[in-house]
Amino acid sequence: MRIKVLESGKIANFAEKIEMLEFKDATIAVGGRVLARRLSLIARDGELTCVTGPEGSGKTVLLRTLMGFLPVEEGFVSVDGELLTQRSSRAFRTQMVYLPQQMQLLRRQLEPVEAGRAVADEYGVWNMTAPRVTTLEPAAVLGPEEIFRLAEQTLKAGSGKRIVIADEPCAMLSPELTARLLELLRGEARAGKTVLVASRRQEVIDQADQVARLQ
Amino acid sequence: MTTTMIVHVILGLLLLGFPIGMLYVFERKMLSRFGVAVVRMSVQLLAACLMVWVLYRLDRWWVSVAWLLAASLYSAIVASWKTGLQPRRLCLPLAAGLFAGTLLVGLYLLYAVLPLARAMNPHWFVPLTALLLGHAMTMAVKGIHAYCQALRTDEQQYEFLRGNGYKHLEAVRPFVRQAFLALAVNTIANLQAMAFYSMPLLLCGILLGGAAPINAFVVTLLLVVGAVAASVLSLAVSLWLADRQLFDSYGKLRQKG
Repeated sequence: MRIKVLESGKIANFAEKIEMLEFKDATIAVGGRVLARRLSLIARDGELTCVTGPEGSGKTVLLRTLMGFLPVEEGFVSVDGELLTQRSSRAFRTQMVYLPQQMQLLRRQLEPVEAGRAVADEYGVWNMTAPRVTTLEPAAVLGPEEIFRLAEQTLKAGSGKRIVIADEPCAMLSPELTARLLELLRGEARAGKTVLVASRRQEVIDQADQVARLQ
Repeated sequence: MTTTMIVHVILGLLLLGFPIGMLYVFERKMLSRFGVAVVRMSVQLLAACLMVWVLYRLDRWWVSVAWLLAASLYSAIVASWKTGLQPRRLCLPLAAGLFAGTLLVGLYLLYAVLPLARAMNPHWFVPLTALLLGHAMTMAVKGIHAYCQALRTDEQQYEFLRGNGYKHLEAVRPFVRQAFLALAVNTIANLQAMAFYSMPLLLCGILLGGAAPINAFVVTLLLVVGAVAASVLSLAVSLWLADRQLFDSYGKLRQKG
C-alpha cells in the first residue's frame, strides 16, 4: 500500500494505468464561499483509491464535485480525459455508481411510499374551503443490514458502469458488514473499474491501492 | 331588488332566530362571534355575486378569461400562504397550473361535452370554471405540498438517484408519484363520500335551477369527472413549472424561502 500526502498543487504519482479521474488544482466554491482549495488527485482504472483526511478537509466536496453537483472555480476536473463541466457531468454520471454518505436515510429507496387513506373534505368535490394538507413523517433510518443490502443492490444495478464512488460507505456498518462491503468494492476494482472511496476508517484505508490525504 | 324580494329576505333571515335563541340560552358569549360570521359570510356572498353580475353584464369572452386568470392567481396566493408552501417560489407556477388545467378542461366540457350554442357565455363559463378551479386548487395544493415535503424529507434519495446516473426527471419521479398519490387518495375519499351522508350540494343546486333529475345526474357526473381531470392537469402543469423554482442549475434543491 502506498500513501501519498497530497499538498496544494501537487499530484500523487502512481503506477501507470488509465487515468480515469483527475483533479488538478481544483478550487470548489459555492456563492463565493470556498469549500475546498486546490485539490489534486488522480484515480485509475482497476484501483481502489481512498480519499481521507480530517473532518471538513473536503472529502465529500471532492466526490460531489466529481458528480457535477458543485462548480469548479479554478483548475479542472476530468473524467476519462474529458473535461468535467456542468453539461458533461450528466453524461459522466451515467457511468457512475454512487453510495452516499447517509445511506441510512434512504429508506424510501428500498421501500417506496405506499398510498395511504384520506378523510373526505366536508363538501366533497364541490367544496370551496381552504385546502388542508397533511405532514409527511420522516422515514425510519435504515439499519446496518439494510444499508448493506442497498449498497449491494446499487453496485449490482450498476454492474455495467465504470466508476464507483462511495462516501463513508462503512460509517454505519458493523465490522463484519464493513469487511463484506470492502470485499465488494475490491471486487469492483478487480473488475477494472475506478473505485473512489472517501473515508476516515482505518479498515478502508488499509484496503486501498492508493490513499490520498487531504489537508 | 324589489320590495317583495326584500320582504322575503327578511322572512328568510328570521330563521336565524333558531341559532341565536340556542346561543342566547346556552352560550351568550358566542353571540357576537356568530353575528360577525353571518355578516362576513353575507358580505363575501354579495361581493361574489356582484362580481358575477358584472361579468354577466359585460358578456365578453376575454373578460371571463381574465377573471379566471385573476381568480387562479388569488387562489394560488391564498392557498399557498395558508398551507405553508413557499409562496414566493410556488405562487406563479401554481396559479399558471390552475389557470391552464381549469381553462382547458372547462373549454372541453363547454365545447365538446355539453356542447352549448354559446359556450363562452359567462352564464356557463363562470360557474363551471369556478367549480373546476375550486376543486383543482384544493387538490393541486395537496399535491404540491406533498411533493415539496417529500423532496425536503428525502433529499438524499434525489441525490442518490442523480449520482447513480438518473436524469433529473427520472430522479424526481418518486416525488412526483407522491404528489399524485396525495391527489388520488383525497379524490377517492371525496368520491366515496359523495351522496353517502347527504345529497351533493352541486346536485341540489342543479335541481334548484329547475333541471330534471336525470339531467341533473348527467351534469353533476360530468362536472365531477371534469373537476377530477382539471385537478390532475393543474397539478401536472404546476409541478412542471415549479421545477426551475425548486432546483438550481446544478440540480440542487434550493433553500426554502
